[in-house]
Amino acid sequence: MPTGLFHSTYQEDEKIFRTVWLKCWMGGLLLFLFIGFPFVAPSLSGVFGFSVQHMANMIGIYIIGAHGLNLLTGFTGQISLGHGAFMGVGAYTSGILFMKAGWPFWLSLPAAGLVTAGVGMIFGVPSLRLRGLYLAIATMAAQFIIGYAMRNWTSLTGGSGGLNVDRPSFFGFTLDTDLHYYYLILILTIVATLFLKNLLRTRTGRAMVAVRDRYLSAEIMGVNLFKYRLLAFGISSFYVGVAGGLFAHYNLVVSDEHFTMWLSIQYLAMVIIGGLGHVLGGIFGTIFMVLLPEVLRIPTEILSNIYPNIFAIFGTLRELVFGLVIILFLIFEPDGLAARWHTIRAYWKLWPFSY
Amino acid sequence: MKRIKTYHWFCILLLVAGLTFWGCAKKEAEPIKIGGIFDITGPTSAVGKDYAQACKDAEQYINENGGINGRKIQLIANDYAYKIPEAVNLYKQYKDVDKVFVIQGWGTGDTNALKAQVAKDKIVYISASYDSALCDPAKTPYNFFVVTSYSDCIRLAMQFVKEQGAKKVVFTYPDHPYGKAPIPAGKAMAKELGLEVGPDEIVGLRAIDATSQLLHMKEFDPDWAWIGGTTPSASVTVKDAVKLGLNTKFISNIWGFDENLLQLLGDAGSERIYGMSPVAMYGVDVPGMKPILEFNKKNSPDAVHTVRYIQGWTAMMVMWEGLKRADKAGQLNGPGLKAALETLKDFDTGGLAPPITYSPTDHRPAMSATIYKMSQGKLVPVKKVSIAREDRFLGW
Repeated sequence: MPTGLFHSTYQEDEKIFRTVWLKCWMGGLLLFLFIGFPFVAPSLSGVFGFSVQHMANMIGIYIIGAHGLNLLTGFTGQISLGHGAFMGVGAYTSGILFMKAGWPFWLSLPAAGLVTAGVGMIFGVPSLRLRGLYLAIATMAAQFIIGYAMRNWTSLTGGSGGLNVDRPSFFGFTLDTDLHYYYLILILTIVATLFLKNLLRTRTGRAMVAVRDRYLSAEIMGVNLFKYRLLAFGISSFYVGVAGGLFAHYNLVVSDEHFTMWLSIQYLAMVIIGGLGHVLGGIFGTIFMVLLPEVLRIPTEILSNIYPNIFAIFGTLRELVFGLVIILFLIFEPDGLAARWHTIRAYWKLWPFSY
Repeated sequence: MKRIKTYHWFCILLLVAGLTFWGCAKKEAEPIKIGGIFDITGPTSAVGKDYAQACKDAEQYINENGGINGRKIQLIANDYAYKIPEAVNLYKQYKDVDKVFVIQGWGTGDTNALKAQVAKDKIVYISASYDSALCDPAKTPYNFFVVTSYSDCIRLAMQFVKEQGAKKVVFTYPDHPYGKAPIPAGKAMAKELGLEVGPDEIVGLRAIDATSQLLHMKEFDPDWAWIGGTTPSASVTVKDAVKLGLNTKFISNIWGFDENLLQLLGDAGSERIYGMSPVAMYGVDVPGMKPILEFNKKNSPDAVHTVRYIQGWTAMMVMWEGLKRADKAGQLNGPGLKAALETLKDFDTGGLAPPITYSPTDHRPAMSATIYKMSQGKLVPVKKVSIAREDRFLGW
């Protein structure tokens, strides 16, 4: 009986779930997500005062997008301030193909990913020459150009009034309730997470990490910088595009107001708070960023019922607290939630014999 | 490991605080719940705060004056910062958790985004967006608003400037659903009247400078220009026009014209800016104003309010009337409230707004407005105008 984890082959070392316990935990989690959660959600909604089912769906959609940005920023070291707009490209592509061209949903969603990947690669071209803040500014251009197109290409996008999207159906089955969407989103989120996790174990993934860590060394070792940077932009945009497509079909309306600079920054905040360069980071960061404003709404709602005369102040207070929490978080948790998760896990693993 | 312990304590503290709050919230009896989606911190907060406050005050007023045939109402007011996704979140909360059947909403973008869903879920949605696209019950059966639509206002404005001898007009507006919604109607009316329309100028809701737009406008040199923004951007536009020596006069949509202009513009705006206002200014001597003034004297004597307060109050009063009628018919639900509102005929708000009429085929509440102008530190009414209720103007 070994007293610890000792890998004797490379295959073992590279495994995603290394122990039996971990597999059990993951199985339990999946079981809960698939079967338990839909039953718990309504009563949780009653406790928290917001629609937990809806929030779970939004979290799922944003996790897919955050994984995309994490691949680009966390693993390949390329910053992008255009992901909000890329999500918009996905949403509009899927919406337009579905509504105007009459494509079925299961075709329009991947098409949204592919089109967005193409657009993302075009805006990723400057990454060959630009790095860091300069690249951030260059990708910001995408935000303005795409945003302008979404607003003013009225014949295609419906302009500022937005584009209404019908509920999608699969082979005669219509996605009617939030719960139907939940399963679709859950499955896609799991697929996206597993793909990302696996991608990092391949030659491509290692090349991307090498580009992030020291691009000069990577180039000397024979990594084609341009190819991998562009590939990272492509895959990353594909993720965000799919998230956008889901968003369109879930919210049933696409408008340029969804996909502003603010969304790009929110995506960055998600991966930074979650932990850059951790697959778990995208998940934790998204949960945190999506739920925090909703949770902060609970006290404001109650206070405004107690003091109706000055209730307008509480709305402002919520925004202030939101900003404050994020600043405090970055100060006390600079490595992100994923790192904290590892610490907590390590603590409990050795409990009560930690030192 | 000390840090982890503090962390755990922190979590426990949060949990305790959360449960306490929850406990407090659950004590109340079962009132009729109403969803509220307001902008208190976003780009339109300059006008949104007062509107939201009015709705909250009106809730108290309604409850103190008999409620819905004895039953109280509860307005769950939330800020969505003018962001559509936030509005969608709130909508789902109201629908699934609070189970409301009527919502007091705000902006054009979010109201349009939700219109298909409210129709499906049969939830009456009273918006502060007076977008004409929400008037056609064939398309948006559950959307209501309480005063003359933007498009009818812009048509009336075009007729007014034509009377004033205008030959050339320009439209300035923010690149937002709210700003853009009435522009096609305005242009069509200008064309009908034989006015020459110059290139549009985009002035953002949060603009602090409009010099470049106005320099461009100066080349065309219009006699009149439409302002489709909110009060802060309207004041910036007029101020810069004065600075650059334009001779253009401005006529603003309802959200760009209120008492705050007096402070923002000072003398610069005198005789320069006109506004379409279907709603009475705060404190004007009309019968409907008395309860408002009394209410505020009693509850918050120091508060300063504007016409936005009247707009919010009116929206709540119309809803109150609808709820009372629906309750009498024994149909206190979405379709019942919709049917009750559609029985309103020349409903009098005590002069706060023009008489309100809805029908199952036409949700245009009214067709008239008062044109105000800013003159010597005051907002003075110039003319009452109205346009015929023609079918060709329904829905755009």
